[in-house]
Amino acid sequence: MTTTMLAPTDLKGAHEALADTKGTVSIRGAGTAEGWAGAPLPTAAVLDTTRLTGVLTYNPSDMTVSVRAGTPLAELQRELAANGQRLAFDAARVARGATVGGLVATADSGPLALAYGSLRDLVIGATVVLADGTMARTGGHVIKNVAGYDLAKLLHGSYGGFALLAEIVLRLHPVPGASRTVALDCALDAAAERAATVLGSALEPVCLEWADGTLLIRLEGTSEGTEDRSRELAELVGGAVLGDDAGAAAWKRHAELVGRAAVRVGCRPSRLAGLLGRFGDTAVAGLGTGIGTTSLPLDEVGAVHDAVTTEGGMSVTRRRPPDGVRAWGRPPSAIRLLTAVKKELDPLGRLSPGRFESWFAELDDKEGTP
Amino acid sequence: MLNAAVRDALASAVGPRNVLSDPVQLRSYECDGLTGFRQVPSLVLLPLDTESVAAAVRVCHEHEIPFVARGAGTGLSGGAMPVADGIVISLQRLRQVLEVDPVDRRAVLQPGVTNLDITRAAAPHGLYYAPDPSSQQVCTIGGNVAENSGGAHCLKYGFTTNHVLSMRVVLPDGEVVTLGGDTGEQLGPDLRGVFIGSEGTLGIVCEITVRLLRVPQTVRTLLADFPSVRAAGEVVSDLVAAGIVPAAVEMMDNLAIQAAEKAVGAGYTLDTPAALVVELDGPASECGSQFEQVKQICDRHGCTRLHIAGDTGERAKIWMGRKAAFAAVGRISPDYIVQDGVVPRTRLAEVLGRIEDMGTAAGLRVANVFHAGDGNLHPLVLFDEDAGELERAEELSKDIAELCVELGGSLSGEHGIGTDKACSMPRMFGVDDLATMDRVRSAFDARKLCNPGKLLPTPRLCGERPGRYRPHPLEEAGVIERL
Repeated sequence: MTTTMLAPTDLKGAHEALADTKGTVSIRGAGTAEGWAGAPLPTAAVLDTTRLTGVLTYNPSDMTVSVRAGTPLAELQRELAANGQRLAFDAARVARGATVGGLVATADSGPLALAYGSLRDLVIGATVVLADGTMARTGGHVIKNVAGYDLAKLLHGSYGGFALLAEIVLRLHPVPGASRTVALDCALDAAAERAATVLGSALEPVCLEWADGTLLIRLEGTSEGTEDRSRELAELVGGAVLGDDAGAAAWKRHAELVGRAAVRVGCRPSRLAGLLGRFGDTAVAGLGTGIGTTSLPLDEVGAVHDAVTTEGGMSVTRRRPPDGVRAWGRPPSAIRLLTAVKKELDPLGRLSPGRFESWFAELDDKEGTP
Repeated sequence: MLNAAVRDALASAVGPRNVLSDPVQLRSYECDGLTGFRQVPSLVLLPLDTESVAAAVRVCHEHEIPFVARGAGTGLSGGAMPVADGIVISLQRLRQVLEVDPVDRRAVLQPGVTNLDITRAAAPHGLYYAPDPSSQQVCTIGGNVAENSGGAHCLKYGFTTNHVLSMRVVLPDGEVVTLGGDTGEQLGPDLRGVFIGSEGTLGIVCEITVRLLRVPQTVRTLLADFPSVRAAGEVVSDLVAAGIVPAAVEMMDNLAIQAAEKAVGAGYTLDTPAALVVELDGPASECGSQFEQVKQICDRHGCTRLHIAGDTGERAKIWMGRKAAFAAVGRISPDYIVQDGVVPRTRLAEVLGRIEDMGTAAGLRVANVFHAGDGNLHPLVLFDEDAGELERAEELSKDIAELCVELGGSLSGEHGIGTDKACSMPRMFGVDDLATMDRVRSAFDARKLCNPGKLLPTPRLCGERPGRYRPHPLEEAGVIERL
């Protein structure tokens, strides 16, 4: 089977790419998460979003920006930084060229999620294209808006299975005047204790992560206030305030560790250290968010899924496991509802088959090329 | 109409003692806070647990009976208005705080718990629940989930959707599922996100787990007068440009100030054309220097009086003036309609100018009280029903909401679409947008029994006209404000 390549450059092209074709379609961005979650099944076409790029509207005074979904976030951040603004989002793979749409579709997040949430909390509107070519807008360009269903959130973490994200509107924040990181070398369980102390204080950290032997806590704010708080924080946890270069290097190492992870897990924050500690491999733990990653041999991933399920959490692989090992941990309790949503939005099962493994099995028969 | 067999089935689902069928009792459920829309339900159920809710919904599903979930009934868009020949499932008796976990900073709640009671339960641990709609003393967390409620402090802290981790939900066919999970980040599709703010059309929320935040170390509040609404608006723009994210920025125009001052005497200047309330919170070291910046920005724009709250009592007084504005408008006008449109912050001055022109053209006064930081307007269209001004006032009110859309904003920032604005939805969304939303609704509710006729426009609904405005019983009792 030859694969058709579709590479739209704008919304109209994205609409035509789906409206004027038949058969299954994989949606692909920069490819930085291709190994995540279930393996994409071979499809009749691949819809490549890497030419669907560019800022559509940016009015710094409104602190919102709309972009085509294939825009690499790192590029966008450079443009925003020129106006003293940013998308308060720092997933590890942004540096590797990840697109805004891809980051939304894979529900990725970084250390700043402690203070700002993930992209679900920062996307305020979107234009999506359904499998039949229908173009639908949700949300808008204002941060406060309750008109209609919030379809952008439904697409967050949908791995291209519900619709193509074509255009995305984002809420921005000011770049803080100063940023300081306090570091402490310690074991994971000790880090968890320190984290509880920090979270109980008035210091308001924006990141609180243990990265394979080092607890990293970042503060942001005015320059004077941040200096004062970082000293206070260092004293509180018995750590050291890092200089700018050392701070940047510590977070770069953090991102590299996350980039090498085998599994992403989420659970109650207080249970994360115990959970990751069981596997004894290189891990990164968001001690305030309950989100972590660990890099153990891929054939042992099943044990992580089971352990996370016991803790009531969620897990998904970030490297392709060998045959017979599940990419997703426990399916959500609303799987019947999820399937109904999939059927309504993509009744023929055209979009990105395989990413959710057997979740939408009843649609599998309809896949394939008509 | 409900036949006897269905009535029996519903009674056994929730227990016979938890059914209201007396016409007088049913009447108190005929509307929510938007009192112009009324419909007496056939039956009201007051279930005591999730299983009873699910059992009742299964009966409705089987017999195709429309149902409407209801919390405190404080909504301002007719979202909880009953449906003809349908039933109301009230969650008022599900009002337990099930758990407060100070370690993972979260609380588990039944839907009838009031917004303020969450913070009350969290307070002994130095924690609070951030979204603070101004009806927070009576409105319930279940209703907050349905409406994705905000409040004065959502500029910095976000809306209900940013604070709910997970929910136990009864789907419209009676299945009970969990949406969301133990972390804010979900690894798969975020059904929780589409459910929150769905205005009761996708199911009934029966248990909610919310994030709690640590009480900020410092709160600083000021009240500043300005020679014009435009000057006050420029202050807001400059705050943004300076990289300051205040906890709240609220603006009132002269008409609103006069009304509020007459009602509560909170110390606002009677003849000032505009006033701003600015609040900062956070670590003391951050707040202090930013507060100085705010004061300088106010001065730069011709601030004529700056009042800084010296203690929590003074702070409460400033907020009392702001929050009283809506109810207080009743002192300067026999009737009024509240709007809830949003514009991009940079269009604030423009939209206010146009609202003034539209008011003049319609021969009606419009008072403005709004969340300036996020561009959420609450224009109050003042009119006299007895002078035959209702129709003109409604027209003006609708035009204002639609003007917000025209300027790149939204029909609603926090009150919801409900019954009230469903017919304006085509001004904001295209046919395909609405059809896609309807597809999502069908996935949740194939039989369209769950709060039908709300949020999305229907031909029948859009042909009808609401009745006249009457004060809500809770409003008359002074328990809620129209905000």
